[in-house]
Amino acid sequence: MASFGTLLSGSGRLLRGLLAGPAATGWFRLPARGFREVVEIQDGKTTIIEGRITPTPKATPDPPNPVGQCPICRWNLKHKYTYEDVLLLSQFIRPHGGMLPRSITGLCQEEHRKIAECVKMAHRAGLFPNHRPRLPEGVVPKSKPTLNRYLTRWAPSSVKPICNRGRRWNKVGMAVGSPLLKDNVSYSRKPLKMYH
Amino acid sequence: WSSFAQWATFARMWYLLDGKMQPPGKLAAMASVKLQGLHKPVYHQLSDCGDHVVIMNTRHIAFSGNKWEQKVYSSHTGYPGGFRQVTAAQLHQKDPVAIVKLAVYGMLPKTLHRRTMMQRLHLFPDEDIPKDILQNLVEELPQPRKAPRRLDEYTQEEVEAFPRVWSP
Repeated sequence: MASFGTLLSGSGRLLRGLLAGPAATGWFRLPARGFREVVEIQDGKTTIIEGRITPTPKATPDPPNPVGQCPICRWNLKHKYTYEDVLLLSQFIRPHGGMLPRSITGLCQEEHRKIAECVKMAHRAGLFPNHRPRLPEGVVPKSKPTLNRYLTRWAPSSVKPICNRGRRWNKVGMAVGSPLLKDNVSYSRKPLKMYH
Repeated sequence: WSSFAQWATFARMWYLLDGKMQPPGKLAAMASVKLQGLHKPVYHQLSDCGDHVVIMNTRHIAFSGNKWEQKVYSSHTGYPGGFRQVTAAQLHQKDPVAIVKLAVYGMLPKTLHRRTMMQRLHLFPDEDIPKDILQNLVEELPQPRKAPRRLDEYTQEEVEAFPRVWSP
């Protein structure tokens, strides 16, 4: 589910102590703060800008592996998720599609990078239609003919066409998927092809 | 071996393939197998045993990776300075059928029968297919790729049943 309006103070990297919660004994996490949102109310001539604490969802109790350091290890999902597992990925994104910082979610560095990459691929595949980026006020998006894609590694506007793919023994491959997900469990005998 | 049995064995089938959210290469592979007749035990290169294949929704095919921008289709008009290179995205906008057509053409055997097999391939960019072709269709082939579900396609119960992996 989308997390509503996570506002963080500018503390960033401050280590304030151990989290007194389920597992997480390794990395120091900031003390738990709930999700909050900013609400602007216009009362005739007065504008009230209010910060409200929204209902924060609680983590499901009893993970299969309570000894794990990050949520992925605790739930035994280490090499098992892809860009298609939107229900898992949506727990780590903001309402407009951005990733939440590692200090809040408690993920380890490699898993954070893998999830970020999967979230990017899912956005490009159009699997998050309601998490589009916020546009400045008054801007109406022009409807362009969209192309369907999946497993896109690079941002579409940043890629150049490969005019010459090379000789038969030395072809330039087109990148598919991401090398971060190389170690994912594959239930069919076929190896993952990173370059087509 | 009666003539009725011969007619029944070598009758031509019409297959339907939906290209929505499918990679065009995999569609082309399935189509080329059916067009050549390789799926039949009575296959022979000279016995003209290929079937018809109708591919619809070619406008909604999905390339994996960044192929829409990276894949380049080259051609030469024959005149000097006539080397044209277009990306897959540009070609698809000009002609929504061309990508699948070129893919199938490249996968068929490079013989003189290729042109007749291409005549038996029918491509439609959207769902509307002429009535006479619709009447001929026998079987719909299963799609090669299972398209993933978007976040809004999950029901509220499924979203709630999925465990929350972390809490702030």
